Amino acid sequence: MTAASVPASGVSAASGAVEFFRYLAKKLAGAVLSFAVLLVIGFVIFSLMPSDPLEALTRGRPTSAAQLAFLRKQLGLDQPVIERFGSFAWNTVQGHLGYSWQFQEPVSTLIAQRLWPTLLLTGSAMVVSAIAGLWLGIRSGWRPGSLLDRGASGVSLTFWSVPTFWLGLILLVLFSVGFGPVPPLFPAGGMSTPGTAGGLALSHILDVLRHLVLPCLTLSLVIFAQYVTIMRSSVIDELGSPYLLTARAKGLRDADVRRRHAVPNALLPSVTVIFLQLGGLVAGAITVETVYSWPGLGYLTYQALQIPDLPLLEGTFIVFSASVIVMNMLADIVYRYLDPRVRRQ
Amino acid sequence: MVRRALLAAAALALAALGVIPPAAASTASAGQTLRVESDTSFSTFNPFLAYFAGDQQVIYGVYPLLTQAAENGEPAPYLATKWTISPDHLTWTFTIRSGLKWSDGVPLTAADIAWTYNLIMKNPTAGTANGSLVADFQSVTAPNATTLVIKTTAPESNVAYEATIIPVVPEHVWASRVKNLANFRNMSSFPVVGYGPWILTGYVSNQYATLTANKDYYAGAPAYQTLVIQYFSNSDAAVAALRTGALDEIDDLSATQYDSLKGVRSLGLYPTESNIWDAIELNTGARTKSGSKFGNGNPALADPAVRKAIALAINRQELVAKVLNGLGVSGAGYLPPAYPQWWWTPPASMYEGYNPAEANQILDKAGYTMGPGGVRIDPKTKKPLVFRFGIHSDEASDGEIAPYIVEWLAAIGIKVDVQAMSFTQLNSALPKGDWDMLMDSWNTTADPSYLLSIQTCGTLPQNASTPGNTDAFFCNPSYDKLYNQQLTDFSTAQRVQTIDQMQSLLYQANVDIILYYSDNLEAVRTAAVKDYFYGSPNRQGFYPIQTDVLNWQQAKPVAVTTTGGSDTGLVVGAPIAAVVVIALGAAFAARRRRTAGERE
Repeated sequence: MTAASVPASGVSAASGAVEFFRYLAKKLAGAVLSFAVLLVIGFVIFSLMPSDPLEALTRGRPTSAAQLAFLRKQLGLDQPVIERFGSFAWNTVQGHLGYSWQFQEPVSTLIAQRLWPTLLLTGSAMVVSAIAGLWLGIRSGWRPGSLLDRGASGVSLTFWSVPTFWLGLILLVLFSVGFGPVPPLFPAGGMSTPGTAGGLALSHILDVLRHLVLPCLTLSLVIFAQYVTIMRSSVIDELGSPYLLTARAKGLRDADVRRRHAVPNALLPSVTVIFLQLGGLVAGAITVETVYSWPGLGYLTYQALQIPDLPLLEGTFIVFSASVIVMNMLADIVYRYLDPRVRRQ
Repeated sequence: MVRRALLAAAALALAALGVIPPAAASTASAGQTLRVESDTSFSTFNPFLAYFAGDQQVIYGVYPLLTQAAENGEPAPYLATKWTISPDHLTWTFTIRSGLKWSDGVPLTAADIAWTYNLIMKNPTAGTANGSLVADFQSVTAPNATTLVIKTTAPESNVAYEATIIPVVPEHVWASRVKNLANFRNMSSFPVVGYGPWILTGYVSNQYATLTANKDYYAGAPAYQTLVIQYFSNSDAAVAALRTGALDEIDDLSATQYDSLKGVRSLGLYPTESNIWDAIELNTGARTKSGSKFGNGNPALADPAVRKAIALAINRQELVAKVLNGLGVSGAGYLPPAYPQWWWTPPASMYEGYNPAEANQILDKAGYTMGPGGVRIDPKTKKPLVFRFGIHSDEASDGEIAPYIVEWLAAIGIKVDVQAMSFTQLNSALPKGDWDMLMDSWNTTADPSYLLSIQTCGTLPQNASTPGNTDAFFCNPSYDKLYNQQLTDFSTAQRVQTIDQMQSLLYQANVDIILYYSDNLEAVRTAAVKDYFYGSPNRQGFYPIQTDVLNWQQAKPVAVTTTGGSDTGLVVGAPIAAVVVIALGAAFAARRRRTAGERE
C-alpha cells in the first residue's frame, strides 16, 4: 500500500513529517553533492591560474635562489598537484581553510574578521533596496503606465545599468567633498574615524553609520531595480484576477485590496530573489568595498586575486559558494510553508 | 500613518548623520594628530616578514635601524653614532649610542642589534624580508653594549646602506616569538615594545594604525602627539579625504589628481624627484644560465640595430609632456634622478634622442627592407617585423603610452601589437620569455646595488621553469665585472665612476629603454600642517626625495584657528534637513487627500 492511498486525516500529520524529512534528506544530499563538486572546481580553477604566486610575492624585492626554494617549500608549491588537492580537500572537510600567503594568517580568521563589515554593508543595502524596491514595485504594478510607474521603472533601470564603481565615485565626490552650497556630508572612506573609541559606544555606532551611508546608498541604488521590476510584474499579473473583483465588491478600500489580497499572492517571486541575494550577501560587493575602502570580504577577494593568494582565494570561494548552497536549501524549505503547491509535489 | 512617521524619522536620522560633526575629527583638527595615507594595505607589522610599503611605513616609525638614510639618501647615524672599516675592508665596527631604552624601559644595546641580525642570517623565516641583505655577512657580534662588529665574507661597500633597511627588535621581547615567527603578525597587542620616533599603540584591522609620539626619542619627540596611518583602497577617496581635512598628507597622486588640486588653497602641492623609472623592456632572447634558449620571443630583437632603431623612434620628451603633464624627467640612464650621486646622463656622442630618420637609416643598412603595408621584413626569418607589446591593464599610464609607441614604431616600419595584461599575468609571462616588448617599472633605494643586480648574468633562470630575477635576459660579462667592482669600491667617487660605466653599457645595449622618471606627486594640508617637507626645490621645481619617517618627525601643527568646518555643516545641513521634512510632510498631505478621494 502506498502512503497516498491512506485517506485518514489523523495519519496525514505523521506522513507529512515523514514526507518533510524525506524532502529534507533529498535536499541535503543535493547540497552535499554540490559542495563536493565545488571543492573540485574551486581547487582546479585557482590551480590552473596562469601565474606563479612566488613571482608576484617576491617581485621587486631582493630574493636569493635559496630564499625562493625555501618559500616554495613553505607554501607547499613543491608538491605534486594531486597531493595538494588531497590535503586541500581533507583540510577543508575538517574546517581548516589554510593559511594566507599574503597576510600570513589563517584564512578562516581573515574571513571572520571581514565578515561583519560585509554583512553590515550588504545586509543594510539589501534591507533598504528590498523595502524601497518592493514598495515602488507594488505601487507601480498597481497602476501600470502611471507617472509613478514610468518614473520608478525609468529611474531604477537607469541605476541598474550604471557601472557601480562610477556611481560610487560620483556619490563620493558629491557628498564627501561637497558641491555648490552643499558641504561635505559623509566621510570619503573607511569604516570608522581614527581616534574614536570602538566597541558599542554610541559615538562609535553613529560614526560607523556615517561611514555606512554612502556605500550602502550606492549598493542599494544599483540593486533595487530587480525588486521593482519583479514585484511590479507579479502585481500586474494579479490585476485582472476575479478575487480582487470580489474584494472590491465587498467594499474594501483600494489600498486594502492591494495590501491584503494582491500583494501576498504576488510576493513569491520576490521571495526567491531575496533568498538568492541572501546567499550572495557574504560575497560582498567588490567594487563598492573598493571605492569606499570598506574592509569587507569582497575587497579581501580582490586583494587575494592580485597575488594570487591561492589558499585565500580557495577559502573565500568555498565560503561564498557554501553560503549560496545553504541559502538555496533554506529557500526550498521556506517554500514548503509559503506555497502549498510545493508540498504537494 | 505609523509607517510614514517611521519613514520621516529615517530621513531625518539620515540628514542628521550628515550634519553631526564626527567627534574625533573635531578634536583631531585641534592639531594633535597627523593623519597620512598609507602606501598599501596592511598585512603584518612583523619586521622580519614585512615587505609591503604600507607595513614598512609603520615599522620604520616604531623600530630603530643601525643607520638611517639622511636627506640625501646616504647612511647617517641612528643607533650607531659612527663606524669604521678595517684596512682589509672585511670588518665594520659600529659605535652604538649609549643610554637608549626600549619603550618598556629595558636598555637598548648592541646585543639587541647583534641578536636581530643573527636571527635574519640563520633563520630562513626571519630572512623573509631582508635575508638577501645579510647574505654576505660572516658574523655579527656585540663585544660590549656600545660596540657592534660586522664581518663580511668579501669586501662589501654598501654595508652601512643595507643597515638603513633592517629594523632592529628588542631581544627580550622577540626571543620567545622565534619558534612561531611565521605566524606572528604583531598586530594584536599594544603598545608594541620598540624604539623610534613613534610607539605603535593601536591598529584597526584593515583600516588604520595609530602611533603615539615617543617622548624618549634621542632626536627629540615629534611635534604631533599622535600619528594615524590610514589605508584607502581608492586613491580618489583619499583625495576627497584630503580636501575635506580627514587626511593631512597623501602621495603617489596621478598627474590628473595633482592638477585637480591646484586651485585648493588649503593644500600645498609638492612634486618630488623620482626614484622610479618606466621602461619598455625588449626580449633579447630568453635563455637559462647555461645558455639554452626558450620562449617564443621575436629573434629580431636580439639584433642591436633593431633595438637602437626602436630607441631612436621614441619621443621621450613628448611622453613626459603628454602622459605625465610635464611632472617628470625624460629617460636615459638606468638609475633614477632621486639620488644625484648615481645620476648619469649620456654624453652627446652616445645620446639617442628622438630621430626617426636615423632609425630608418639604421634599419635600411641592417637589411630590413620595407615590405607590403609599410612593415619591414626581417632578412633572416623573411617575416614582417611585428612585435607584441605587453602593457599593464591595471596601469593607466601604460594605456596612454601604448598608442604613441604604435604610431612611432609604425613610422619606422615596425608593427606593434598591443596586448593588455593584468599585473600578475605580465609577471608570469616575463620569466617564460613568451613576449617581445613589455612595459615595466622599477624603483630603488639610495643604494642602487639591487636595481643594478637585476641586469647581471646571475639573474638568468637556472632552468626554463624556475624564474630568475632578470627583466630582459640581459647578460654581459663586462657588466658583471663592473657590478662586482662597485660592491668593493669604498670611495664614493670611485663607485660613482664604476656605476657610470655600467649605466653607459646598459644605455647602449637598449634592452631597457627608459621612457621617463615620474615625479612622486604629494599633497599636504598646509592649512593645518607646516614644515612637512625638507630640502628646497630644484630649477624644475622638484623637491628632493622624501623619507616618511623624517617628514612625520619634523611636521608641526599650524597654530590652531577655528575653521568652522563643523559649523558650516550645521548651517547648511540644518536647512537641508528642514527641506526633507517639509517635502515629506507635503507628500503625506497629498497622499491623504488622494486616498480620501478614492474612498468615495
